Amino acid sequence: MKVVELASLCGFETLCMPDGDRQVSGAYIGDLLSWVMGRARADSAWITIMSNVNVVAVASLADVACVILAEGVTLDDELIKTATAKGVNILKSELPAYETATELMGKV
Amino acid sequence: MKELSLNILDVAENSVKAGATLTQISIDETDELLTLKIIDDGCGMSEETVRAVTDPFYTTRTTRKVGLGVPLLKLAAEQTGGSFNITSKSAEQYEKEHGTVVSASFYKNHLDFTPLGDVVSSVTTLIQGHPDTDFLFTHSFSGEERVRLDTRQLREVLGDVSLSEYDVIKWIEEYLKEQYEQFG
Repeated sequence: MKVVELASLCGFETLCMPDGDRQVSGAYIGDLLSWVMGRARADSAWITIMSNVNVVAVASLADVACVILAEGVTLDDELIKTATAKGVNILKSELPAYETATELMGKV
Repeated sequence: MKELSLNILDVAENSVKAGATLTQISIDETDELLTLKIIDDGCGMSEETVRAVTDPFYTTRTTRKVGLGVPLLKLAAEQTGGSFNITSKSAEQYEKEHGTVVSASFYKNHLDFTPLGDVVSSVTTLIQGHPDTDFLFTHSFSGEERVRLDTRQLREVLGDVSLSEYDVIKWIEEYLKEQYEQFG
């Protein structure tokens, strides 16, 4: 499924989507960035509550299809600009990480 | 990183890459605060580069476009309410006294404080990997130095024997462990 489809199907808000046609496959949940960096699989959706510039860097490095910020966490405008420039899709969910993940079940 | 000792390894590797002949690693602890300092006499950086290194999209690597060592150390310090600082004098501008100082302070009682971890193994790994450069490692509690290792002193005793020899590394490891055990 494409990131753009996933966002609308799960009702996630889009913070930026420079590459909406990217296919999503699987998901990973984690907040310790150095840990995520080595473990999140390419093309997966990464669910986190962290919201600093390093999130964009880890997403880019791990080559995930999108970041889903859980618990209503958001990014400031400057970071959204950076994510857009680096081609990182960022979605936002009001739900906690587990409930956000259950929304993805059967879709990715 | 799950342990600060891995950050020490990462930053000190940068010092070695910058051509440092001596890299000083100090840990100063009080009941509340842990301050980590890494001082080298390497080639240093320009003001512009110093500003850029805390940006994860800056890296000296050519194999990938993101460098997270310094940004993650800064994050680890700041998420405990602590602080991070980096200053540098480039060899181009300062012919005699050049190098870089990285310091990070952590509030140890904050829930998000990352434990120090196995610092003995980090220090021995560093020495083993770079036997031709010098390291001075110190760990103090409330201003009192409890652990100290200076490879320049070891070198005087060892003569032509490399610091990366198995027996030497084992000795360094035991020597550090002993100092930690003595003071608990």
